[in-house]
Amino acid sequence: MARLPHPRLLFCAAFSLAVSLARPCSAQAAPRLPGELAWTIGYDPKTFDPAKVDDQESEMVRYLTAGVLLRFNRFTQKVEPELAQSWSLSEDGKTVTFRLRPNLKFSDGSSLTAQDAAWSIRRLLSLPVDVAPVAEEFIVPATVHVETPDPSTVVVGLPQRIVGVGKIFDEIAIEPANRPSQARVTSGPFVLADYRRSQYVRLRRNPYFSAVGGAGPALAAGVRLDILENPEQEIRLFERGDYDLIQDLAPDYFELLKRRDPSSVRDLGPSLNTEQMWFNQFPDAPLPAWEKAWFASRAFRVAISQAIHRDDLARIAYLGHATPAYGFISPANTVWFDRILSAPHTDVAAAKASLARAGFRWNGGHLEDASGHAVKFSILTNAGNATRQKMATLIQQDLAALGIDVTVVALDFPALIERLMHTQDYEACLLGLENVDPDPNAMMNLWLSSSPNHQWDPSEKTPATPWEAEIDRAMNLQATARLDSDRKRAVDRVQQIVADEQPFIYLVYPNILVAVSPRLQGLRPALLEPSLVWNVEDLHLAGAR
Amino acid sequence: MRLKLVAASLLAAIILASLVIVVIPGASYSRQDREAPLAGASLHHPAGTDALGRDRLVRVAAALLLSLAGACLASALTTAIAAGMGTLAAFAPRPVGALCMLGCDVFLALPWMFLLMMVRSALPLSASPASSAAITFLVLAALGWPACARAVHRGALNLRCADWMLHARASGLRGIQLARCVIPNLLPLLLPQLLVCIPAFVIAEANLGALGLGIGEPLPSWGGMLLELDNSAMLLETRWVYFPVALLVLVLLLLEAITVEA
Repeated sequence: MARLPHPRLLFCAAFSLAVSLARPCSAQAAPRLPGELAWTIGYDPKTFDPAKVDDQESEMVRYLTAGVLLRFNRFTQKVEPELAQSWSLSEDGKTVTFRLRPNLKFSDGSSLTAQDAAWSIRRLLSLPVDVAPVAEEFIVPATVHVETPDPSTVVVGLPQRIVGVGKIFDEIAIEPANRPSQARVTSGPFVLADYRRSQYVRLRRNPYFSAVGGAGPALAAGVRLDILENPEQEIRLFERGDYDLIQDLAPDYFELLKRRDPSSVRDLGPSLNTEQMWFNQFPDAPLPAWEKAWFASRAFRVAISQAIHRDDLARIAYLGHATPAYGFISPANTVWFDRILSAPHTDVAAAKASLARAGFRWNGGHLEDASGHAVKFSILTNAGNATRQKMATLIQQDLAALGIDVTVVALDFPALIERLMHTQDYEACLLGLENVDPDPNAMMNLWLSSSPNHQWDPSEKTPATPWEAEIDRAMNLQATARLDSDRKRAVDRVQQIVADEQPFIYLVYPNILVAVSPRLQGLRPALLEPSLVWNVEDLHLAGAR
Repeated sequence: MRLKLVAASLLAAIILASLVIVVIPGASYSRQDREAPLAGASLHHPAGTDALGRDRLVRVAAALLLSLAGACLASALTTAIAAGMGTLAAFAPRPVGALCMLGCDVFLALPWMFLLMMVRSALPLSASPASSAAITFLVLAALGWPACARAVHRGALNLRCADWMLHARASGLRGIQLARCVIPNLLPLLLPQLLVCIPAFVIAEANLGALGLGIGEPLPSWGGMLLELDNSAMLLETRWVYFPVALLVLVLLLLEAITVEA
């Protein structure tokens, strides 16, 4: 699946009401057509215009329908030509040249030329970045030049070297020039056939699509994406054979399906996503001065990190389907994960010693700071996410061992966002971060101190601490270095600083849990989204080819 | 009368049993037995444990006591507000009475669930679980009085036109002296209102807890425990997840029985 230019905070804020049996179980939206694959998406795609995609479900439709010059292979994690036969990057990294495959056609049978590719790129660049977020990845979209020296060549001139520039073209759908069609005419494996609001999106095979290697059109006759938010209903329909796969199973539902049919579920191991908590270090936050002093104290943050039993979080909150986390890069990200990272592990005695050295003391079992203020704070998380609330309650007991009184507060999504992004009125927060790109460059917006997504202290005018300044330098270095080894060294340095300073206290990497029908053929699960359908052109139902 | 007695006795027995369970040395509603999450019934945990390994029996008993105590206090408060507002509207000059009843109608028209969510999100985050419980019931009481006030208003209007009231006025009774006469005569109306509000507040707290916006962890609440039923996977782990909802239904039935007889 294509990605946004920066990681997005995952606020799974859908309310789950009390008794599942009370939920209406509507009938399947539409009968399955012969050879059609079916699975669910959580909500209506906001747009079918591939240039304006800004939400997960629109991304899914774009991935299935868009023909792109280059495809980021989710399995090998390498950029490969798709509509392009070949591509090259100039020595200075400022010119990308694509040579198109011969005899390309759109789904309506019209020819696809370099003019169409150039028009599609120019159209995207001309849209405001809030409408077309992909354009933001070109850093200064207005200065990008697109030329077509001949009908099969496209040359893109960039204002400066852009790390991982090839992946940007994975998100740019090539459409017929001057005929934007909202996915009705595409150059990808499928084309939009029917859409019923709140019911389904139906795609049919593009007969003119030819996968790399001349494999021909997609094997499945079509795809039906049912719009369904209720996981209980999704599981029931999956078991009934109405759906062929479930891409993002909750641990308890995974166990439920496993109990009924062990062969239907797969734990693909740790994802790139993280669950973490952090303390509010915003200098103007409406918090007492002594609390700001605790949260700014490295010893305090490290002690908290050492007191948390991550193994228990993974075993109890995730039923064993998560991996304890100590850094922002998951071990699943084999290229960028730092295997020799030194991070504080669970050690309550060391945590107490660290707090004592920092001037904290115990009074009747309760922790106090040097000026006698009892150490207590609240952990904010989103209501409706049972797993996060379990983690927060487990941490509550872990920190009680240090004599810290923790209050767990679950707020509805708008109230939580208001506090996090506007009023900064919170003490600690527990949320998740979804990483859809293994390249740490995609996390620039999180780590640069000037960024509004620098959650513990957003939009710093200048780095508040020397270690934040060093993170800035290292992240900028990895974004401009020509050699991969230099980039890796810079990212390793950031991982070590984060492990030492604990601005984010990483808790777990949730595992990728999926369910797959035994009838589904051609499956090659990948760690990157869309993990089950990244090779959708190869997927088909047994006996339906 | 006999049904009321049986219901009251049963409810008293349940409350007493809950008290005993909660005060047993070693009983804790918050201690996590991390080696035994979602365990079945055993000698150590007679009703098993929840997903975090906390004793389900102790939590259900504590939730019952907390919920009933909170609902009773909230009900008393809301009935008192309703009595004051209803009586005022009946005995005050007509424009004032109309204004009071208009206030009732406005309150009745409020989307109270969203109001509760707004109030909950506006609370200081550092509010302890006990404070959050107190505030939850206080808000329920503050929002629950209008329907009751309308009933009281109607009863008080009847009293105002009663012959004995005319005699009292003619005898020179005014203000507080009149109120002293009116309130005892309203008691047959207020007592059922009080009893009706108790199960309503119990279920309102459970609803709020089921949205994850009620009483804060680790304090147990019925709503929080009902959240376990949201998940069919959990239902297969242990049948004891039905225990809180079964007890809630029983308690509500008993309260209803007492109310009907009252």
